[in-house]
Amino acid sequence: MAKEKLDTKNLNDSLKRLAEITEWFDNQEEIDIEEGLKKVKTAVELIKASKERLKTIENEFEEIKKGVEEEDGNEVAPKNIPY
Amino acid sequence: MENNNLKSNIGANNIIFSVSEFITLLNIGLNKSQVKMIGEVSEAKVNSSGHVYFVLKDKKDGSVMNCAIWKHRYAIYGIKLKEGMEIIVFGRPNIHKTYGFSFIAETVELAGEGALKKEYERLKKKLTEEGLFAEERKRLIPKYCRKVGLITSKQGAVLGDFLSNLGKYGFQIKMIDSRVEGQEAVTELLRSIKTFKNQDIDVLAIIRGGGSAESLEVFNNELLVREVASFPVPVIAGIGHDKDEPLVALAADASESTPTAIANLLNESWQEAFLRLERYERGILGYFEGIFEKYRSAESSLMISFGNFKNALLNVKIDLRNSVNKSFSGFKTLLFRVAEQLEYAEKNVNSHNPERQLALGYSITRFNGRIIRTVKNTRIGDNIDIQVFDGKINSEVKSLNKNI
Repeated sequence: MAKEKLDTKNLNDSLKRLAEITEWFDNQEEIDIEEGLKKVKTAVELIKASKERLKTIENEFEEIKKGVEEEDGNEVAPKNIPY
Repeated sequence: MENNNLKSNIGANNIIFSVSEFITLLNIGLNKSQVKMIGEVSEAKVNSSGHVYFVLKDKKDGSVMNCAIWKHRYAIYGIKLKEGMEIIVFGRPNIHKTYGFSFIAETVELAGEGALKKEYERLKKKLTEEGLFAEERKRLIPKYCRKVGLITSKQGAVLGDFLSNLGKYGFQIKMIDSRVEGQEAVTELLRSIKTFKNQDIDVLAIIRGGGSAESLEVFNNELLVREVASFPVPVIAGIGHDKDEPLVALAADASESTPTAIANLLNESWQEAFLRLERYERGILGYFEGIFEKYRSAESSLMISFGNFKNALLNVKIDLRNSVNKSFSGFKTLLFRVAEQLEYAEKNVNSHNPERQLALGYSITRFNGRIIRTVKNTRIGDNIDIQVFDGKINSEVKSLNKNI
């Protein structure tokens, strides 16, 4: 059983694979323990990687959001035109 | 020198005068007897050099006196002496060294209201026929005139009235002080007019103060009337009148009854000009006010436009922020959903993890590597493997009891 090389970089792909795994479990009438265990191991790895990725994305997002809000805050108040 | 000698010797009985000396002495005294005298003309004749010799006779007692009036004086008064004419002369007696005593008249005028009236009418008719009083000859008093020639007497209130009523329009008044009453005034008036002829003036005003109607006679003098009519610039007469308008007033370009009225006449064009200026000023100010008003309204509408623009900018900003917020919250939702999905997957995987079942106390029994699900899968005596959480148990089947 050659160990499948797991690509955990892409969150989207990971989620897809996780969905496949959960579906596999849900549809399994007779659980193949060995296969199940293998899938669980993959899933755990995927979940861990995805969580990390999610955290990174979240942090990036917060950073961007903070940047936008700071820009708003630095805005110059409109001046009255003297006449 | 000679006279002084004579004077000092008056009353000295032992002094013998020559005829000439005595005549000179007498003339000194006679010279002081300047008088007005009334009488009837008898024998009047003009000699070859133009001087007039006549005899004045007292109507009451027939007293007579030889009189003379020199050519240039005679010409002034415009009276042709005739026998029977009643006249008033002004002058002084004199003894001529050759021709003897006579009264030298300096002025001559008609005596008696009737005669004066007759002469006035005659002269008026004559000058009217000549066209001296014609309306079309009259010149307009120039507008905005400043240089005013003034002939009047310094005495009396005339000058004060005139000057105090003149507006402050930069008038330059040149005045000649002249007598304005009595026949003696004719000469002075004529001289004053002649002087003004050569002066740079815009208008000439001849003003007489109040006085008796009789003293108006001087302004019926023909020479004076002609001078006024032919004066180079317009003449204003301020002479006043009793019954008959003085002929000078008729000949003048304008005639007013008082000094104040003359001042007002001169003020008139200036006042109008100032009124017009004020009107123009108001007009110009109004015009600029209008421009400013337009500018102000343009400015305020500009301000409104600025305001609107600002609002539009604000709206854009709010829209931007909204869309940013929307995309933020959308993304957040997305992240949340991902997290949820992950959680679900975790739970799902956990619930299906066979190792978890083992940890709970369940076990998996295999015979020859195959999972035993039913008693039928094994027989008594079979060696079976039992997998538990932490390892394997090798066991032998001792009995089989099938659930009933």
